[in-house]
Amino acid sequence: MALQEPIDPLLEEISGPTPRQILRKRVQGHMGLLFGAGVVLVLLVIAILAPVLAPHDPYLQDLANRMVKPVFMGGTWEHPLGTDHLGRDYLSRLIYGARVSLLIGSVAALISGVIGTAMGVAAGYFGGRVDAVVTFLINVRLAMPVVLVALAVVAILGGSLQVVIAVLGLLLWDRFAVVMRASTLQVRRREYVSAAQAIGASTPRVILSEIMPNIVNNLIVIVTLEMAHAILLEAALSFLGLGVQPPTPSWGLMVSEGKNMMLFEPWLVLIPGVVLFVLVLAINLMGDGLRDVTAPDSRS
Amino acid sequence: MKAAYLKTTALALAMSVATTGIALADKANDTLRVAYTKELENVDSYFNSSREGVVLQRAVWDGLIYRDPITNEYKGNLATSWEWIDDKTLELKLREGVTFHNGDAFDADDVVATVNFVAKEESGVKTQRNVNWMETAEKVDDYTVRIKTKEVFPAAIEFLSGPVSMYPAEYYAEVGPSGMGLKPVGTGPYKVVEVIPGQKFVLEKNENYHDSPKGQPSIGKVEIRTIPDVNTQIAELFSGSLDLIWQVPADQAEKLAAMGDQFVVTNESTMRVGYLSMDAAGRSSMDPNPFQDIKVRQAVNYAIDRNALVDNLLKGKSKVVWTPCFPSQFGCDQNVTEYPYDPAKAKELLAEAGYPDGFETEFYAYRDRDYAEAISSYLNAVGIKTDFKMLQYSALRELNMKGEVPLSFQTWGSYSINDASAMVSQFFKHGSLDTTRDDQVLEWLDVADQSNDPAKRIEYYSKALTRIADEAYWAPMFSYNTNYVMNTDVEYTPTADEVLRFTTMSWK
Amino acid sequence: MLPFILKRLGLAGLVAFTVSFISFSLLFLSGDPAAALAGETASGEDIEAIRRLYGFDRPMLVQYGEWLFQALRGNFGESYYFKLPVSSLIADRLSVTMTLGVCGITFALLTAVPLGVAAAIRPNSIIDRVALFLSVAGQAMPSFWFGLILIVLFGIKLRWLPPSGASTWQHFIMPTIVLGYYAMPAIMRLTRAGMLEVLNSDYIRTARAKGAGEGRVLFKHALRNAIIPVVSLAAVQMGFMLGGSIVVESIFALHGAGYLAWESIARNDLPTVQALILIFSMFYIIFTFLADVLNAWLDPRMRSS
Repeated sequence: MALQEPIDPLLEEISGPTPRQILRKRVQGHMGLLFGAGVVLVLLVIAILAPVLAPHDPYLQDLANRMVKPVFMGGTWEHPLGTDHLGRDYLSRLIYGARVSLLIGSVAALISGVIGTAMGVAAGYFGGRVDAVVTFLINVRLAMPVVLVALAVVAILGGSLQVVIAVLGLLLWDRFAVVMRASTLQVRRREYVSAAQAIGASTPRVILSEIMPNIVNNLIVIVTLEMAHAILLEAALSFLGLGVQPPTPSWGLMVSEGKNMMLFEPWLVLIPGVVLFVLVLAINLMGDGLRDVTAPDSRS
Repeated sequence: MKAAYLKTTALALAMSVATTGIALADKANDTLRVAYTKELENVDSYFNSSREGVVLQRAVWDGLIYRDPITNEYKGNLATSWEWIDDKTLELKLREGVTFHNGDAFDADDVVATVNFVAKEESGVKTQRNVNWMETAEKVDDYTVRIKTKEVFPAAIEFLSGPVSMYPAEYYAEVGPSGMGLKPVGTGPYKVVEVIPGQKFVLEKNENYHDSPKGQPSIGKVEIRTIPDVNTQIAELFSGSLDLIWQVPADQAEKLAAMGDQFVVTNESTMRVGYLSMDAAGRSSMDPNPFQDIKVRQAVNYAIDRNALVDNLLKGKSKVVWTPCFPSQFGCDQNVTEYPYDPAKAKELLAEAGYPDGFETEFYAYRDRDYAEAISSYLNAVGIKTDFKMLQYSALRELNMKGEVPLSFQTWGSYSINDASAMVSQFFKHGSLDTTRDDQVLEWLDVADQSNDPAKRIEYYSKALTRIADEAYWAPMFSYNTNYVMNTDVEYTPTADEVLRFTTMSWK
Repeated sequence: MLPFILKRLGLAGLVAFTVSFISFSLLFLSGDPAAALAGETASGEDIEAIRRLYGFDRPMLVQYGEWLFQALRGNFGESYYFKLPVSSLIADRLSVTMTLGVCGITFALLTAVPLGVAAAIRPNSIIDRVALFLSVAGQAMPSFWFGLILIVLFGIKLRWLPPSGASTWQHFIMPTIVLGYYAMPAIMRLTRAGMLEVLNSDYIRTARAKGAGEGRVLFKHALRNAIIPVVSLAAVQMGFMLGGSIVVESIFALHGAGYLAWESIARNDLPTVQALILIFSMFYIIFTFLADVLNAWLDPRMRSS
């Protein structure tokens, strides 16, 4: 996958509106980006305000009122989305579940981003042996079956939020490393980098002030995509019973628990599945949109 | 309004099933298709410890004696008569003219070889309690054997009609447990024609089955497939590619029963008892270990609303149980301390024990995730924070043996042995699965296990059970029930001991 | 060409070795299974004896060396659960997983490549938009959920397909779709991007200028060039897919290697898990190796890199 050459800022400035204006215009014209960012923002607010918004305690069990139907299927507003197999309010669990998904997605993406970026930039900047080692490590990482290794590690260490986040963070850095390496390789050859090196700027300084600003767009795109990836993986692990453990409300776990009654109460599976789909879709759209607006020629 | 809606959706589903038509049961091919939920590790009944294994064992092999599951009367099977010739020696006359599936004739040599092999600890029989009461077997003549017990062991007849089945001496010596697992050979009503480990077993009617109290098999072929997900099992039942499923959870069974005359849903109680086991002996790495404190254990007992669990989750013929044994078992005295649901008292006890804010503990389970989750909710509500871990049975058993489990939700089905020793003596006699290690309980159980006097046995089991309840070593929860769902072509009346008996099934 | 192949082969071997070491040390952390093997009545001494007998008391590196030596000869030890050789256990189940993988990637290619080509011919058209939407939506759909929905819909409500199992080819339809759709978006995007690039190149303009028919331009010249990276991506995706078949196999009750892996993890059956991790990585390594060689063969420029 060839990466787009970054546009020369100077050229843009001469030829028309300021880059900021161009960017705003592109963002406003990009439905996918607006929709994606909007949904993510709304879910973020919901996650933060969960204790205020949730109508019930998501852990409160009421065995006498199990699997009450959601309001649109004949239930009452007491439980707008019904209750789960232990009589816990489904809407409240969904709302708290947003916290789990977003937390896991962002922290895992952060960890893997730091690891992958450090490796990728080092490989691209220094080349030679460093590059060889990093490329080798990327190959090793890609060869390990993610789901299988994650399941095995969670099984050994026990499934808690921290373990799942750490495992995903340590497993998903490959795409960061690949893309950051390629981006750095391109930027390194530019004149301003040679110029900075020529006037004797230290290596960290060159990387931080000359390289990073020019690859950060790509980085942001990968961050969003990996966030979506981590959220999906957490859901899959929880679905297989080796992710986040009950009673933590994770959407993947909710699908897994609803699965038992899937044939009779399909909404138990449908609702958390749809929400999960929408979140991941929104994050992906946001990532694609960011890529489009920062590298405008990629979809022409 | 709500009820009407419920009904319509249930009906809609039922209709969609009905209109598209259920493929007929495989009655035409005389093949009964059954599902197992769990992958069975080894068909050799001495080397697995699961219910699925028991079912196969009863179909493929025979014991010396047979207990009628309805009348509880002991009848001769491979033995025709038996008598105690002294406290520890049982002499049995064997049935003549019985052959194994491979054509070998059954005689005293087979009994001697089987007993002497399984009773040896090094042979590694999975559930030692099933066999370690036997010392040796001796041949008197071709059709007479004597089994010597290590101690006085009154439950011998019960065990001989249960888990102890007879293997062909020469074949077993040659192939061993793993060979027996792949190509099982017994005398039973069904012979095994195909084994794909963990996936599929095919049984075929034994046309030469001897005149056994189990009765003669009627259905020609039984095909058992492992389908781990209950939903998938139900889906296959709908599509007509399964004829019988069992261990169906209460919720689904209710819905299936509501579908009218499509399926026959039967509920039977079982001897399986669910309980919380606590690390009262302090073997795990928790430090300090709250479960060593009786007040904490009592708090756990008070924290859980067993009635709500039974009424809403287990349903059917389940009952609240306060003893580490099933009420019908001999010696299982029900007159022990009970701990009714009282979360306030639980909190109080925790505070008295020095945990006013509760504490955190690992909590393990291996089946019935929803029951375990409901239990953990009750515990969380009084301040005992649970770090929930769901493992498979074999993995949890392993951890238990190492003593690394502070708190777990477990179950025990007693191998359908109708004697309290099958459960309480399994877990409270300082074996590696004993989480309490109480010397007094051990002493009393030894007396009860080894006495030939029923009254004395009852007295000592009662003492032990009372002490276990008073000390709140466990939090016994409830007895299980099993739902059997079959399509209307299958004629079968399940028994209360959680054993599927293919021999008594027939086509309508 | 030969030096290139040898170099890649060496690298692949080194990667395989590293993966095996990492997975061995990971699982080594979970402690030794002597207590379980010893049985419920075993004393501390018995457990110690078993530990020595099986060699669990030796340093990790020694145990790893022995395991690797045996593994190279196809001996992965004995499953703790089934007490059968792991190699025969896995061999039994691998065919299901392989079938599923091949069907999955075929399905992905057969749907993604035409869509990608169509999208590239008419950028920003309805087809392009639909293809883009499919690819974005596809990537967001949790496969376990997608599988469940398919079962309810086609297995139960419509009764078109058997809901689980692996006995006939119909059984493989739903799992194939669920496994394949996840690889689709990437293949489609790459086909589209590649086609666009080639279609705008001087080379195609020349071909058009020379009066070659549109179909000929598209399929003879453009697709042939655009497909090279797609083939290598497909090979890589195939490796990923086999690793991802765990989820699909567990949903559709296919007794394949992925399902065995899941069950073995939950049962703490370490020899089986170790062997499966190695085997799944080997798939990936072999497929990427083949993709590299194929690329180098088709495009000599790559041999130097």
